[in-house]
Amino acid sequence: MRIVIGEDLFLLREGLVRLLTAHGFEVVAAVASAPELLRALVEQRPDVGIVDVRLPPTHTDDGLRAALQARGQVPGLPVLVLSQYVEQLYARELLADQAGAVGYLLKDRVFNDDQFTGAIRTVAAGGTVLDPEVVQKLMVRHSRTEPVARLTPREREVLGLMAEGRSNAAIAQRLFITEKAVSKHAAGIFGKLDLAPSDDDNRRVLAVLAYLGS
Amino acid sequence: MSFAYLVSLLLLGSIAFALVREMRKANPRPAGLRGHIRARGWGLLLLPIALMAAAMTGHVHALAVAELAVAGALVTWAPRLAAKLVPYALLALALFGLILAKAYHDGFSSQVLYGLVPAGGGPFRRGFVLPQAGVFFVLGMWLLLRVEAPGAGLVRTVIARWLDPRRGGISPRQGLLLIPVTGLAMQLLGPGNWFGVQAITGLDVALIDLGVATVMLVLVFRSRVWAATLAEAGLLVLGGYGLLIIAFWPSVPGFNYGFADLTGPRPWPAGVAVQAVALLGLGLWLAPRVMREHEMLPADSELAARAQQLTQRVQTLTRTRSEAVDTAVAELRRIERDLHDGAQARLVAVGMSLQAAERLFASNPEAALALVGEAKESSSRALTELRDLVRGIYPPVLADRGLGDAIRALALDTPLPTVVDVDLPEQVDLPVASAIYFSVAEALANATKHAHARSVRIVLSQAAGMLRAQVTDDGAGGADPAAGTGLAGVERRLATFDGILAVSSPPGGPTIVVIEVPCASSSAKTSSC
Repeated sequence: MRIVIGEDLFLLREGLVRLLTAHGFEVVAAVASAPELLRALVEQRPDVGIVDVRLPPTHTDDGLRAALQARGQVPGLPVLVLSQYVEQLYARELLADQAGAVGYLLKDRVFNDDQFTGAIRTVAAGGTVLDPEVVQKLMVRHSRTEPVARLTPREREVLGLMAEGRSNAAIAQRLFITEKAVSKHAAGIFGKLDLAPSDDDNRRVLAVLAYLGS
Repeated sequence: MSFAYLVSLLLLGSIAFALVREMRKANPRPAGLRGHIRARGWGLLLLPIALMAAAMTGHVHALAVAELAVAGALVTWAPRLAAKLVPYALLALALFGLILAKAYHDGFSSQVLYGLVPAGGGPFRRGFVLPQAGVFFVLGMWLLLRVEAPGAGLVRTVIARWLDPRRGGISPRQGLLLIPVTGLAMQLLGPGNWFGVQAITGLDVALIDLGVATVMLVLVFRSRVWAATLAEAGLLVLGGYGLLIIAFWPSVPGFNYGFADLTGPRPWPAGVAVQAVALLGLGLWLAPRVMREHEMLPADSELAARAQQLTQRVQTLTRTRSEAVDTAVAELRRIERDLHDGAQARLVAVGMSLQAAERLFASNPEAALALVGEAKESSSRALTELRDLVRGIYPPVLADRGLGDAIRALALDTPLPTVVDVDLPEQVDLPVASAIYFSVAEALANATKHAHARSVRIVLSQAAGMLRAQVTDDGAGGADPAAGTGLAGVERRLATFDGILAVSSPPGGPTIVVIEVPCASSSAKTSSC
């Protein structure tokens, strides 16, 4: 799987390259600034672009802007955005084009190899992965408003894991229940939120997020 | 008594006019006798005043009856209008009192019921009229302001202008001396005085008196310095004139000098001497003060006003600077403690775990692996703590995107439905943006935690050189900047930028918090909006 990395801190960039190579990914470009990143993303068309939000030249949100710009030129280009902090505002901007293939994680998540590589694969496959911290804030924000308030605690748990980009199988494993039970909860959630049921994980997550973001 | 008729007619006319106007509006009817009385308030005073005005005519005839009837009707059906008429009726009474006193002084001797007290004839000829007129005047002015009758605004403006400390170093009291000095001068210049020569012949003396009094009053309010100058000159001249009278006494004909009557059968020259010396003394005391005022060029007085402004500014800046320094030191202390107890300690733990893992690697790989896992956990926690710390110092979104998006991000992180309206210039000075951000964050936190609001609205705007943030919630209200530490802290934080905090939070809500900070900060760094 071909990867482009945009990260300005040398140690982190080299660490990412080493980690990904060790897990069998092919890093085709590792750059340190937003303009270079944009060029690499558009020219290399990687399976996934791993992007730090804060990059030179202005050291603000140049990385995020470069990623959004690249997706404007190459629709649906899979991008996994990493950051020292997560903001719902940025998550919304990434999800705004409804094209999927988006990830937004804290840099700490890199520590967990399996979770991190799993997220890369999900994004490459067109899925959506949101950091648990973003998901948690979304749930808190909407916990008091109808009709999220009507969900049972278990259904909210399932909704949260769905937003983190987990498949039914992964959710079942995490909650120690059967996949069938997860499907049942999912159906309950869609019913209460008035969303059309769908088998496609990504569309499902997007629908939920679009609902929560409204 | 043509004056009494005039006053009564004026009163009657205005009451009738107002009644016609007011009758068209319906007034809510309160229940019970007490409610009726309370609803009439100051308007009830119109009845005794009408009675006094009627009594002044000296006869019981149709005009007096009609006047009382109209006043009664007005109090009954148009209480608010009656209340607004009362101050003017009192002022009219006061004016009539002055005219009456003057008439008595000029030899008029019939008895008139002024303020229901018989005046004229007898020993109290003038005794009661002037004090009563004074009381009516003061009461009228006070009521004028109290009931917000038409003209109250004008009176306030004149008073504020008069009391404005930036209008020179002469105090209002000194300028006010012109009034008694003018009175004394007019008394001396009246018919029969001026060394026995009729000073002004063939002219209506009363009219001249009125004109002079008006000019002096205008002068007192327009320019206190010139009023004081004239008062000083008057004091010296009149004092000297008094001494002259004493010097030529008793060869000069009888006349009045202030309180001393030299016309009657028992003249009192000592009173003239005492008054003359007092006037001269007062004039000499005032003279250097007035001269100093005149030596000061207009530019100087502007400079003095400017200096006063600057002094106030320096005081404000000194206070806010010391508060800012205190706040900054406290912040640094908190950051130091958080780093020391948090991230630093965790990194030490990471190092120790890795050190132990290194030692165990060969002999006990499983234990070493567990230690590496621990190290990973510690570093993760250190990152979380650092992240929270950074948010408290300077929120990353604020650095990345500026104030508008930072407030939007803040609203998204609030567990309440929050609407954000932003209309701001592109660039807001970073320190100002930070102060507004944390102020809004505090208001939002209050709405969530204390007010138990259901929704919040945040409006950021810029107008007339001010950045303005308004946070409105529909919660329980009752927020008080003086009670809690949160809003007081916001107030201090904003003061550093000459910003202000206004809170409207009646019990039961809604709470409106308004934050205003000047775009152009007064520090050496000027902002760009």
